Amino acid sequence: MRQCPWEDHNVIDLVFWAPVICSGALAGASTGMLGTFVVGMRVPFLGVCISHAALAGAVFGSLCGLTGPMLMLPALAGAVTTALLLGMFDLQSARIDSNVLLGILFSLTMGLSFLGLGLFSVYGISDNEVRSLLWGSLNFCRWSDFAIIATAAGVELIVVLLFYKELRAILFSREHASAAGIRTTPVWTILLILTSVVLTVNFQTVGGLMIYGLLTNPAVAAFRLVRGYGKSLVCSTLFGAISGLGGFLIAATFDLPTGAMIVILSSLLIALASALSQLQAWNANRRMRRD
Amino acid sequence: MNDPAIEVRSLVVRRAGRDILQVEDLMVRSGQVVVILGPNGAGKSTLLKCILGFVKPTVGEVRVLGNRVSPRSGISLSQLRRRIGYVPQVLAAHSETPLTVREVVAIGRTGIVGLFHRLTRSDWKIVDSWLRTLGLPDLSQRAYSSLSGGEQRKTLIAKAMVQQPEILILDEPTANLDLFWREQIVAILQGLHEDLGLTIILVCHELEVIPTCSGRLLVLRDGSVMADGRPEDVLTCQLVEALYGSRLRLVDAGGRYAAVPVGGPQRD
Repeated sequence: MRQCPWEDHNVIDLVFWAPVICSGALAGASTGMLGTFVVGMRVPFLGVCISHAALAGAVFGSLCGLTGPMLMLPALAGAVTTALLLGMFDLQSARIDSNVLLGILFSLTMGLSFLGLGLFSVYGISDNEVRSLLWGSLNFCRWSDFAIIATAAGVELIVVLLFYKELRAILFSREHASAAGIRTTPVWTILLILTSVVLTVNFQTVGGLMIYGLLTNPAVAAFRLVRGYGKSLVCSTLFGAISGLGGFLIAATFDLPTGAMIVILSSLLIALASALSQLQAWNANRRMRRD
Repeated sequence: MNDPAIEVRSLVVRRAGRDILQVEDLMVRSGQVVVILGPNGAGKSTLLKCILGFVKPTVGEVRVLGNRVSPRSGISLSQLRRRIGYVPQVLAAHSETPLTVREVVAIGRTGIVGLFHRLTRSDWKIVDSWLRTLGLPDLSQRAYSSLSGGEQRKTLIAKAMVQQPEILILDEPTANLDLFWREQIVAILQGLHEDLGLTIILVCHELEVIPTCSGRLLVLRDGSVMADGRPEDVLTCQLVEALYGSRLRLVDAGGRYAAVPVGGPQRD
């Protein structure tokens, strides 16, 4: 049974778990912040599509003999290529809805991932390392992993601050933003590349299959609770961090799978936010009736 | 004042081997209020999208404020669009829109301010001023998604107006609105033209939406111009019947129009 970090107040254990705790919280925060745009723009499929593209890249990278942190490179290549394809695609000319296009690309990237996984047994190669990407391995995060997650989060924060008002506009509607003379194509492409980088880097925390939940749930919970772009961004980031940190702590306490607990906690936050939102509405109605 | 605001020459838009829009020659002068009328599928929205550069014509040329629209690069097209206020037909409303009314209106200033610059206090003053003008100050901190359809249209008009546009283009701004909100929108358009002398292009398929300040009516049918002229000259019972395919009586009430069905019991 795994050692719980605070069970015997062992300083050495806390030193061991510190990068795991920090990585979990930061991965949740950065994915949660990104989720504000993905959910707000109604393209939740973007998360699954890009994470599977990264997974396909990692699988084929592993088949080519890459191991450890080097697997990040083909994963990034797969995710960024898919993001650029999405960014360059002219939806209006092709007369296709963005979610339908994402669905097609998702099928393709998932097919490629599972094809690659199948090839491991064909060639008699161990697929343990790639499988850990599917399910996540937050408990094995070290400070070097945290540094990569922190770099991606830093880049994300800079992009959000630099394009704060443009992202607000495309969050509302890309058509409306274009009509108002905002150069939406470069901003949208930057957002797609950012999504691919953040998702690929955070793969190792909750895993390729479950990162989708961490991308969408904190934002959905935030939208239930607050209104306004800035408040939603902050709240979604906070909920993401709570999911990452809280999920790990619950998993460590009860010796449960970490990735699954992170995603389950993020789902519970939606229920909590919905209940609080109902309570707010009920209180407002009561005040109105009293006045 | 009478410079051409919009010029369309030999425009053809072809989709799936079919010409969905053909406009030989069309000029809108600055300060004019032009209503584009026609049944569903007549090509009204396509014409607007050609003017805004969203749809590339198969043949022909569109010039807006002296600039050629179609082949321009992204930057130039964006600069041109900043001079045009556009209220699209489709409302971007869904429960996952976290933006407040004030934030939605501020989108109109975003392109003008440009990349890497924040909205200044004077930009927000313009936003607040238009919120007041259109009677929205009490709703400014409300979530856009919680507004009624009529309030959302007013918000989108405010968003277009904070651009301080030279041309205002509206695509069916009263679609799905009740009589109260329809009249509110018509009054706003009337006021904008009277106060600012704005060039307005209004697309609709109901005669009731035509404001009294409208000096020109362009009727589209099956992608072609069926009639073009002053509303009082163009609007006839025959035209209404030809457009909508049923026997309708045209009512002219001091420059406002309506089409009412002929037959059935009459009530005073």
